[in-house]
Amino acid sequence: MMLETAKALIIRNICKNFGIVCAVKNMTLEVQDGEFISLLGPSGCGKTTLLRIIAGFETPDSGEVIIDGINILDLPPNKRPMNMVFQRYALFPHMTVFENVAFSQFLLKRPKSEINQKVKRMLELVQLEGFESRKPDQLSGGQCQRIALARALINEPSVLLLDEPLGALDLKIRKQMQIELKKIQEKLGITFIYVTHDQEEALVMSDQIVLMQAGESIQVDTPKRIYNHPNSKFSATFIGESNLFEGAVAAVHSDHIEVLVGGVAVLVGKTGGVARGDKVSLAIRLERVKRADRGQKKDFENLLTGTVEDVVFFGFMVKYYVRVNDELLIIAEEEIAKDEQEEDTPIGGKMTVGFSIKDVNLFVERVHSDTL
Amino acid sequence: MKKQKQHIYLLSPLFTYFTIFFFAPLFILFIYSFWRTTSTGLVPTFTMHNYLYIFSKKLYPIIILKSVRIGFITAVICVLLSYPVAYSLTFKYRRMQDFVLYLILISLFSSYLVRVYAWKTILGHNGLINQLLKYIGIIDEPLSFLLYSPTAVVITLVFIFIPFTILPIFSSLQNISVDYIEAARDLGANTAKTFYKITLPLSMPGVITGFIFSFVLAAGDYVTPQMVGGTEGLMIGRIVQDQFGLTYNWPFGSALAYFTIFLLVVLINLFIWITRMLKLRR
Repeated sequence: MMLETAKALIIRNICKNFGIVCAVKNMTLEVQDGEFISLLGPSGCGKTTLLRIIAGFETPDSGEVIIDGINILDLPPNKRPMNMVFQRYALFPHMTVFENVAFSQFLLKRPKSEINQKVKRMLELVQLEGFESRKPDQLSGGQCQRIALARALINEPSVLLLDEPLGALDLKIRKQMQIELKKIQEKLGITFIYVTHDQEEALVMSDQIVLMQAGESIQVDTPKRIYNHPNSKFSATFIGESNLFEGAVAAVHSDHIEVLVGGVAVLVGKTGGVARGDKVSLAIRLERVKRADRGQKKDFENLLTGTVEDVVFFGFMVKYYVRVNDELLIIAEEEIAKDEQEEDTPIGGKMTVGFSIKDVNLFVERVHSDTL
Repeated sequence: MKKQKQHIYLLSPLFTYFTIFFFAPLFILFIYSFWRTTSTGLVPTFTMHNYLYIFSKKLYPIIILKSVRIGFITAVICVLLSYPVAYSLTFKYRRMQDFVLYLILISLFSSYLVRVYAWKTILGHNGLINQLLKYIGIIDEPLSFLLYSPTAVVITLVFIFIPFTILPIFSSLQNISVDYIEAARDLGANTAKTFYKITLPLSMPGVITGFIFSFVLAAGDYVTPQMVGGTEGLMIGRIVQDQFGLTYNWPFGSALAYFTIFLLVVLINLFIWITRMLKLRR
């Protein structure tokens, strides 16, 4: 019996340069069968280029893309076992919804009754039954993208590629489509490779996130892990919001490290490879920093007191900008209890905020020369 | 409502110009086509005689059909030559777009008459082509059919009207998003199928516009046939001209002109209908 590897797609050492610009730098990635994987990063990070290499619209300078043990890079796009959903839908404007969805089936010369059946099933899947005879210009953006999804899924591809498919939709429909896309993916069990620059979208939908920057993958992890345990300053700032401090290691103790940030000592959980004098960055999630001056003082190892510079109200929560000293501004995020009294700490007043030692992520910037 | 009215003000100068200098003369010509001409001059009346007279002699229907045929052949050649140029400029040689379009436009800068004269010297008895063929040794005697023949008319008309087909086809190809082509490839269409099912139908409005431009302009042309067509290459424009300039039979000339216009309109609609039946158009 063959060993069940369950790898839908393997990308190995892919490099792509456009002139002197390096779009994808030695990218390696393994995608599990039936997985929803997001390529996430700022614009220009190479995520779309990587997707287009997989689809066959770009030829990489080197590397391999392997499906079922076969390198598919020599195959033209029409021979590859995958389909793509485009950001701008790319529905054929001269064809009806039916003709669009059935396009690949007509090419395969399937019998008419089978095509009708399949198109019907696909339109049910995307909840647009009865739209067969409409033209694309008679559809809303959300409807267009559903039809594009149906058109790409009708051929039962082993991998579906999605290039920022919700980028052109407005916020409300986008949120709704996120949930729907995820449901469809789970129902069909097809591997989705989803390109987005929207970190929230990636967190909501993905099984795995590939965080990319400047053509390289920075971190590949589940949404939970990538959020709670960012492996770099870039991860910590691109996904979610973090307080970011730069400082130097003042002392290494047996169970914790002391980092001097703007003249204030911050205690950090023990991590290996850090020595006294190293330049480091600290990242602390905003929601992990809480007020610690109203009796509900928890057992925070770190307590900072400063002047409230700003208070920003977000409906379900409030952000406090606390200035500890000239170099140190910390932001705390507090949920608002249902029947909370009017704001009792006005701007300019004193406030103490705290955070736990285990919520501080430390990244070494530069190793101190003495230790080398 | 107010906005619509403003549009009318903006349109009115051109509309006035067209009314006075185009629609009114055209209408007067239409009225003439029902009048009669006698030795004393034009007689206002209403008669179908002029229209019926077209079919009384074989000459007129034959020349009309010949003109339509030359127009059709010219238009087909223009489209067939233009499409690959416009296609490769759009999808393959983007960098050369401006340069090639500039070259095409340059041919429009020079006078129509000069260009026809140029072809006369190229195709003539001792013209460039005959000299060249003789020099290479392919022929001993100059080819006589080159000049003063329908072939010469078609060659010249294709050269003159090809910008009118390249430009609309080019602009319709420019409007086709690469996404459509990539989507078709992604869904399993090879290059040929993608062209036939996506690119060609989406560029059909440009093809039709270009075809109609060159067809109508070529079928109605009367300078080129006179200069390079000889007796065999005689076309309807010349006959109409003669009715006004030579025989002073304005009513018959008007009837000939209107009948030709009518025929061209019918043929154009037939052409559009055929492309629609072939599902080549949106």
